[in-house]
Amino acid sequence: MSFSMMTIPNISGARLESLCEFLSAAGLTYEGGAEYTVLLLDDETDAVVGTGSLCGSVLKYIAVSEAMQGEGGAASIVSELVRHAYTCGRRKLFLFTKPQNEYLFRSLGFFRLAATDSAVYMENSRNGLKNYLDSLEKGRGVQGAVVANCSPFTLGHKYLMETAAAQVDSLHVFILSENSSENAEFPAEARFELVKKGTKHIKNLILHRSGDYIISHSTFPTYFIKDKADAGRINADLDLTLFGSAIAPALGITKRFVGTEPFCAVTRAYNERMKQILPKYGVEVIEIPRIGGISASLVRKAMAEGNLELVSKIVPETTMEYIKVRNWEPEIRNHRKS
Amino acid sequence: MKIITTGVAGTMESSDIIIRIEPKETSGIELSLESDVKQQYGDRIEQVIRETLAAMGVESAYVSAVDKGALDCTVEARTQAAAYRAANSTDYKFTE
Repeated sequence: MSFSMMTIPNISGARLESLCEFLSAAGLTYEGGAEYTVLLLDDETDAVVGTGSLCGSVLKYIAVSEAMQGEGGAASIVSELVRHAYTCGRRKLFLFTKPQNEYLFRSLGFFRLAATDSAVYMENSRNGLKNYLDSLEKGRGVQGAVVANCSPFTLGHKYLMETAAAQVDSLHVFILSENSSENAEFPAEARFELVKKGTKHIKNLILHRSGDYIISHSTFPTYFIKDKADAGRINADLDLTLFGSAIAPALGITKRFVGTEPFCAVTRAYNERMKQILPKYGVEVIEIPRIGGISASLVRKAMAEGNLELVSKIVPETTMEYIKVRNWEPEIRNHRKS
Repeated sequence: MKIITTGVAGTMESSDIIIRIEPKETSGIELSLESDVKQQYGDRIEQVIRETLAAMGVESAYVSAVDKGALDCTVEARTQAAAYRAANSTDYKFTE
């Protein structure tokens, strides 16, 4: 079969329709986010016979038709996506795939970061994870960890971190690095700074950026998962396996602290998986009761409703200052416009 | 020649090799190679990469290579191109 390659930025319209159709025939679901797409087209029929897309630094939607297997289609697609990513200055690339495809991506220069029986997380560098772990500040003695989004940092987070820090010699706090739509008000750098300011008084706390090695639901793609109801569990298992098998041993973490979750079913399910998985890697899971129903989502809700009085009761002063400044800005902009 | 950024050259198409060179703090070349013919030609491919880098005066770098059956001349050319890119150098001396 002879085929031609077509590359499309921000695929849309008829091409997007034929991409969705092709993916669904391959058992994959298009869920948006393709910034740069490669299509392999059959020279005779113009039908899609292979595809792959770049979404940020993640390679997604890679599939080739059965007739094309063994023709080097996947290699052409991945080569082109990697080439494009490098020209955009993205050198650290990742992908998620089914376990049965791991060998294919391994032959294309990707290395396993973590694997479960349902999913594999891979990076295009053998040393990426090691370099990240080496770059982290080390603690001493009995060490614990908290992983949080902190969007934004609340009195609840502060209490969790204070309580956890009192039970260990060093407490490692990982703040999620990615920006997602639900975090629009609080970009990663701002979240990190607010935690830094709000935890200055906790002397044995070491703050880290999660980089690409904590897999949250906003980074985890579900396009290759048949039953979407399983996506949350598969995501949790992969993330916790990576934490337990690589991050915890590199830093000597033996305790992971988490707030009890009375509201969000997804987080509650995640915490349950944590209790199943982390002890296998010698990490004890300690749940700390949440105080007074404080949550970051409550803060965001109150902000959306303009209820700054409620916000001020549930966040530390340092977070409040940031929110005030941010809320003020649109007014200045509106003023200038008029 | 000093490696200061990530440089990549080549593709994963048949008969080609993709070479990726990254900065390394300590001295020495740390090389990882993936190849379907690693069993037969792995040592030779590695030797060509190392010799090419040595000839260019590259003393420390992480190198990862994914080979798809490239000939020696291809391995050499891709290594040189990746190294020049990783050194942000346009002082090409391809004829050496």
